[in-house]
Amino acid sequence: RRIVVSRGRLRRFIWILLTLSAVGLILWQCAELLMNYYSASVSVTVQFQKLPFPAVTICNINPYKYSSMKDYLSELDKETKKALETFYGFSEGKSKVRRSVDEWNSTGSDFFKQIPLLKFEDFSRTVTDLRSGQKRKIEGSVFHKDSSIVNSGDSNDIIGFQLCDANNSSECALYTFSSGVNAIQEWYKLHYMNIMAQIPLETKEKLSYSADDLILTCFFDGLSCDKRHFTRFHHPLHGNCYTFNSGENGTVLSTSTGGSEYGLQVVLYIDEADYNPFLVTSTGAKIIVHDQNEYPFIEDIGTEIETAAATSIGMHFTRSRKLSKPYSDCTETGADIPVENLYNKSYSLQICLHSCFQKAMVDSCGCAQYAQPLPAGAEYCNYKKNPNWMYCYYRLHEKFVKEQLGCQQICKDACSFKEWALTTSIAQWPSTASEDWMLRVLSWDKGQKLNKKLNKTDLANLMVFYKDLNERFISENPANTLVILLSNFGGQLGLWMSCSVVCVIEIVEVFFIDSLSIVMRRQWQKAKKWWSNRKVERSGKAPRAGDPERRGHDNPVCIDEDLPTFNTALRLPLPQDSPLPRTPPPNYSTLRLETAFTEQLPDTLEPGQH
Amino acid sequence: MNLRKYLIRALHRLQKGPGYTYKELLVWYCDNTNTHGPKRIIKEGPKKKLIWFFLTLLFASLVFWQWGILINTYLSYNVTSSLSIGFKTMKFPAVTVCNANPFKYSEVKHLLKELDRLIEAALERILQPTPGNSSEKVSPPLNLELWHQIPLVLIDEHDKDNPVILDIFESNQTSAINQTFADNATADEEKKYKLAVKLCSHQGSDNCTYRNFTSAAQAVTEWYILQSTSILSKVPLQEKIRMGYQAEDMILACLYGAEPCNYKNFTQIYHPDHGNCYIFNWGMDEEALNSSNPGAEFGLKLILDISQQDYIPYLSSAAGARLMLHQQKSFPFLKDQGIYAMAGTETSIGVLVDELERMGYPYSDCTINGSDVPVKNLYSQYNTSYSIQACLRSCFQNHMMETCGCGHYMFPLPAGISYCNNEANPGWAYCYSSLRSSIKHRQICIDSCKETCNDTQYKMTISMADWPSEASEDWIFHILSYERDMSTNVTLDRNGIIKLNIYFQEYNYRTISESAATTIVWLLSSLGGQFGFWMGGSVLCLIEFGEIIIDSLWITVINLISWCKGLKQRRAQARYPDIPPTVSELVEAHTNLGFQHEDLGALPREEGLPPEPGTPPPNYDSLRVQPPHVLGPDSDAE
Repeated sequence: RRIVVSRGRLRRFIWILLTLSAVGLILWQCAELLMNYYSASVSVTVQFQKLPFPAVTICNINPYKYSSMKDYLSELDKETKKALETFYGFSEGKSKVRRSVDEWNSTGSDFFKQIPLLKFEDFSRTVTDLRSGQKRKIEGSVFHKDSSIVNSGDSNDIIGFQLCDANNSSECALYTFSSGVNAIQEWYKLHYMNIMAQIPLETKEKLSYSADDLILTCFFDGLSCDKRHFTRFHHPLHGNCYTFNSGENGTVLSTSTGGSEYGLQVVLYIDEADYNPFLVTSTGAKIIVHDQNEYPFIEDIGTEIETAAATSIGMHFTRSRKLSKPYSDCTETGADIPVENLYNKSYSLQICLHSCFQKAMVDSCGCAQYAQPLPAGAEYCNYKKNPNWMYCYYRLHEKFVKEQLGCQQICKDACSFKEWALTTSIAQWPSTASEDWMLRVLSWDKGQKLNKKLNKTDLANLMVFYKDLNERFISENPANTLVILLSNFGGQLGLWMSCSVVCVIEIVEVFFIDSLSIVMRRQWQKAKKWWSNRKVERSGKAPRAGDPERRGHDNPVCIDEDLPTFNTALRLPLPQDSPLPRTPPPNYSTLRLETAFTEQLPDTLEPGQH
Repeated sequence: MNLRKYLIRALHRLQKGPGYTYKELLVWYCDNTNTHGPKRIIKEGPKKKLIWFFLTLLFASLVFWQWGILINTYLSYNVTSSLSIGFKTMKFPAVTVCNANPFKYSEVKHLLKELDRLIEAALERILQPTPGNSSEKVSPPLNLELWHQIPLVLIDEHDKDNPVILDIFESNQTSAINQTFADNATADEEKKYKLAVKLCSHQGSDNCTYRNFTSAAQAVTEWYILQSTSILSKVPLQEKIRMGYQAEDMILACLYGAEPCNYKNFTQIYHPDHGNCYIFNWGMDEEALNSSNPGAEFGLKLILDISQQDYIPYLSSAAGARLMLHQQKSFPFLKDQGIYAMAGTETSIGVLVDELERMGYPYSDCTINGSDVPVKNLYSQYNTSYSIQACLRSCFQNHMMETCGCGHYMFPLPAGISYCNNEANPGWAYCYSSLRSSIKHRQICIDSCKETCNDTQYKMTISMADWPSEASEDWIFHILSYERDMSTNVTLDRNGIIKLNIYFQEYNYRTISESAATTIVWLLSSLGGQFGFWMGGSVLCLIEFGEIIIDSLWITVINLISWCKGLKQRRAQARYPDIPPTVSELVEAHTNLGFQHEDLGALPREEGLPPEPGTPPPNYDSLRVQPPHVLGPDSDAE
């Protein structure tokens, strides 16, 4: 209004400028508000309450009893021993090895021939074959130079193995290791997986440890528990694992008191004598604390437990929740991710990556990798059926690590996850004073099956408990709701222009509807003129010169030829809508008042004057 | 007179403002209000009027709806958290060190002798159930009275349906049972015996429960703990402190930053689980120590001796030092938050401080100093601050006191109550174990205790290395032994010695603090924003609206009165048709005057009959008659 009301060009100009800048400010601030609309604020709440106890999965580090695996692994072991002897001059008891060497010539398997351990001499590409002892030149690309797995040392004797494409023997990849320990373990693992892939699951479960074997005593929340509280879970690389409180029968145990007495206390029996000497070189157990719906990736995030010690693990529970789209790029259930979940558990990033890799493996190699679950219709790779798989697997794995498979791009974070922060500490157990009776009683517990007396290095004590029952819940909340956004808009509009939606509608009304009607009227007149012109033309070309002028006079808007700015916007409705001269005070009441008083005043004042 | 003036003014305003009918009032309001919209309803043409009417209605309802949402949001008392990570001079945490074993076995042997012999004999029987072994002959007769208070029993589960309960020592007397016992054990390869603790509410009564254990080791430990607490609870505190580990024996070396410290810098506290505990930097007497530098060089370095040979064999099977980091002036709850340090190793503990500062009521249900928690804090006798663990334990002890009549040995005692023992409270073990497993009691405690608003967590990164190394072993043991015992004999060994390093990690602290997400200012600005956005209104508009309501009330009252008068007058006229006009009639005439000025005939009469005081008509109505005297100048002034 000021633009119209104020006098003087300068003032009017200033007001126009101010108005325009206010409009600009509003637009800018509103844009800012809109941009920030999808932001999230984080809130942390700590709640003290009864907490569900997490599932605790316990595995022996050694997957299968070595004694029962003898039938399957004897050949591989012999081969390994021989390699050790020829390359490093190591032998455990000369006679034994010699016998095995003698036996060697009679029994030989195909795939040992195909993937032998090789000894390299410098980078001359001359290798010594373990089997023949002959030196030969290696052809094909040597992988160790650019491979991420391989780190070649500078010693003269490098040990490694060669993987060749079975269809095309010139295509070979050479894997070398700086240390023979790594080389032999890696090579052993390769063959071991081949052998294990051929054994059916039931047999494997039998070959591994039973719950009775692994768990000696169990104590939870002040009460005794036994093997019925544990669920078996077969892990391809760790054999039989046992999950405490897996929630399989529908009930999840919970604790209402923190502290080591009220958590899970387990004594594990780890039969060190029955360990596979080449596959695993450390002794103990692996545990993982996870949610009941989560798959325990024990090889990735397990915690190792020492023998002859009490490991106390204090937990602190944190639950996090992210907002999904459009706030962040995470997934609630994993249903929107194009990778099939091979694990029978709820979605996690790790599950997605593993599933994605397995899928790629099946697609390109034709068989599934042993360590991960089977997709429908596929089977595990083994050397008999897929002679090519190892080469394929190594190539694929390298691609995966270099993020060339696209798995890392497809897989998204899960929106909500639970986390147990662990504080692990170790004490000596059993103490020298209590060792004697403890071992005796535990041997009695173990029953008569066990002939020998237990040794303390066969035992591990594990305590898992909540340090406190505080649940920390970190959640993202939308920082803005629609209501707040609108009220911020309103605040901005009100602050700079004292305007509202009504204003906006007015502007819309003026600019669009009214100007539309003006345009329509013009068009109408044009059409009329055109029509009349045509008529005139038709009638006999009699041009009327005064026509355009008259039209201009007719249209009241056309007189002031202002640009459609705010100026006109505010001025326009006045002449159109209210033809009466605008007097700010309302009509009736003032009139009313005046009449009331005029009628009264003479009467009442007259006596006073008189 | 004042009132009169005021009322006159009010009338004046009324007359100046809206009209005297609702419609006039509304129209006046719509035209004059600062709220956008209503004006439009009046000014526009009939079609637009309708549109504007609906628009205004719609916007008004939108405003009210969103106001509701905003107020709801405000009343839910949300908080926003802010995280700050940084590095500043921090208080070094209090460090509590204890031995995992509460007492020196050599000191308590005289108290536990009977118990140890009992358990040894019992184990002999359980493990080697062949009669007539050598140890039985040598040992003097056992004190079976102690045994009978809380006996251990074997449960024979060969027959699943009716398990046979065998008392271990009674089976000695009846050899027949013992014989079958032995036979079964050899015949059946599978273990069918379970060890259980028999708990009776009174000695000799039938109200007994058997606490089953799947493992004999656990059963023995539990039984031993029950028995030993009963024995130890009778020992006075001074004696217990004497039996525990002394500071000078346990703490061999101490170094804080570059400053040497010794066992005298530690505060002694008696902890029922772990005997004598020593707290460094507790802050009870002097100021807490500050540490401004992260890194192992600036932390606390300790060498401890736990003398593992002197452990009580059946009480604690794990050997090591128990330690805990906690805030100054708080009680160390080692069973909850403590960690172990293994003998013969160097344990390095990197500390990261994680602070949480929360808003109290009504934002969250936390307590600042525990004064509003309905549980009496028993740990206040240690002069320590409130913590949730203290509350839970106090709560348990209070329940124990109420149901069992005595206090449990592991928790502090309320005034006037003594600890439970077998002689004074024969049924306490039964009572205690039923209370301990009772979910209901735990829930009560959980519900009544609140967590503290300011919570400090010390996140620890623990790493270990062998210590001392083989090369340095000899001289280290020699020096430490010499310093402690002033003798050249080596009295320390690998099984007892522990080195500890406790230091801040690179980032000193991480603070999560809360602030209110919605303040009253926020609420007002949001409300204003909403109102402004949809209708261009402000508080003044609300006041305008309020004014209109008051005005319409006025009108209502005026109308009501006039209607009443009219009714009365009509009635009066009906009764006395010829009666001359009374005061009420006059007033009525005046009232009418305000609305319809065609009734001019009544005016002159008013002059002739001034209103009498104490006449029934309501004030303002009669005042209405008066204004001219006062109003004349007033209106002129305006």
